[in-house]
Amino acid sequence: MNPRLRTALLTALLLFAQSKIADAHIVSARLGDFYAGALHPLLTLQDVIMWAALGLLAGSLGAASGRWLILVFPLGLCSGLALATLSNLPAVSPLIDAVTILVLGLLLATALRIPMTLLCIMAFALGVMRGAVNAGELMPQTDRLLYAAGLASAGYVVITLIMALALSFRRPEAAPVSSWRGIAVRAVGGWVAAIGLMMAGLSLAS
Amino acid sequence: MSVWRALILVLLVFAAPLLARPASAHQATLGVLEFREMRPGMYIGRWTTLPKDGDNRIELRMPAHCFLRLPELNCGDKGLVGQMTIANLGEDMSAAIIRITSIQDDTSSYTISAANPVVTIIGTGAPTLETWLELAKTYVNLGMDHILLGADHLLFVLGLIWIVQGGWRLFKTITAFTIGHSASLAATAFGWIGVPEGPLNACIALSIVFVGVEIVRQQRGEIGLTARYPWAVAFSFGLVHGIGFASALAGLGLERRILPAALLFFNVGVEIGQILFVMLVLALISAHRRLGAVMPRWSAELPAYAIGSVSMFWFLGRLARVLAAA
Repeated sequence: MNPRLRTALLTALLLFAQSKIADAHIVSARLGDFYAGALHPLLTLQDVIMWAALGLLAGSLGAASGRWLILVFPLGLCSGLALATLSNLPAVSPLIDAVTILVLGLLLATALRIPMTLLCIMAFALGVMRGAVNAGELMPQTDRLLYAAGLASAGYVVITLIMALALSFRRPEAAPVSSWRGIAVRAVGGWVAAIGLMMAGLSLAS
Repeated sequence: MSVWRALILVLLVFAAPLLARPASAHQATLGVLEFREMRPGMYIGRWTTLPKDGDNRIELRMPAHCFLRLPELNCGDKGLVGQMTIANLGEDMSAAIIRITSIQDDTSSYTISAANPVVTIIGTGAPTLETWLELAKTYVNLGMDHILLGADHLLFVLGLIWIVQGGWRLFKTITAFTIGHSASLAATAFGWIGVPEGPLNACIALSIVFVGVEIVRQQRGEIGLTARYPWAVAFSFGLVHGIGFASALAGLGLERRILPAALLFFNVGVEIGQILFVMLVLALISAHRRLGAVMPRWSAELPAYAIGSVSMFWFLGRLARVLAAA
């Protein structure tokens, strides 16, 4: 037998042997939990703003820095989810959410050159935080693996697409500093910071 | 016999009993529920043949616009149209007959069983625009649900995109897949062809294994059948996948006269889901290129192996079920 075919067959057999029930159709495998994991953050305002701001920030820093987030951010989400599932983490206060949005907005608006390592640490930390928050929706009957896969897939898709979009808005090296594309991204940063400021005010007032 | 063949056989023999679900006992009871329209949209219902354990535990779900409090059923101006479900058949009764008599004295009967727990009621009169819109909404959503929850179908489409890589050829390939699955979906729904679900699901998994192998061949510089005639492969396997799509409609107890419309709307839903998926994959491919995030050479074959391994896992699981049922 061809060695590669043998490897593929062995992998499939191992999967098969490990499974409790090899459900043929995903409907019966409760893939609904996958979509629950994927859609929950996309329907949460804080997640949408933070993920979009992070993607824009990474994309505006260039492809060389940004591409690492394709792996780092979903990994952070899964780590946060696992951490929250294994230990009872306290709920994230709305003020922390607001401050995070404010900081991301300010970083975008000021077009600060963030080193790649720091960007990755920030993305991982944000992933852990949001992963833990999204664990709040886990029900006892939820398939954790499918939920985590859905959450990580959503993180991967959103960050990758927004980074690529931001890259196309990036000011070419030769272009003047006043290039409209750079200004557009910085203006979005200003709006994000304003949203963060408003949310911080609201959470302090309530 | 090689060691590998022996290993597969041993695994199948041990796994088959584990995968077989226990056969639950059936109660030979039948309930008959009658609804008589007293004035437009207003019905009086009663069990003319009561289930063995009474009607209290039966979970009867009416269309969303209807309000049921037996003996009264109020469906307003829309009338009694839409999906009616008995969710817990098998506990108190094995089947139920629902008889609806309109104000004009036309009677329709529907059978609900554990295998077909849902019936779609379109009303006794000529369908109105509202009925068609309701039907479209229900079946377009059902079609989208089916493709988006059917990871096997999506994995096959992903494999095709991987091999054909976009452009005009991809458009032709996806169109061929669509024509193939639409034809067999229609043929199955109308009862012209019929394939047992177990072996069919195994074949669907095998079609993805085939695509996985074709990706590996292409990456090694060989020109496989899919790379040469992608539309032919897509059409052929589309026929197989279409029969699988029909299984989603099989349990809904559709009236013969609404079957063509339901089929059309269901197929539209499947296409919308498929187009959304293809667009997402193409957008991600383009984003990866823009970001320069391409897989290193040593791992280029990894996705193909992942697709192949997962689909082989499905194939073995489905085959074991077929063998266990035989």
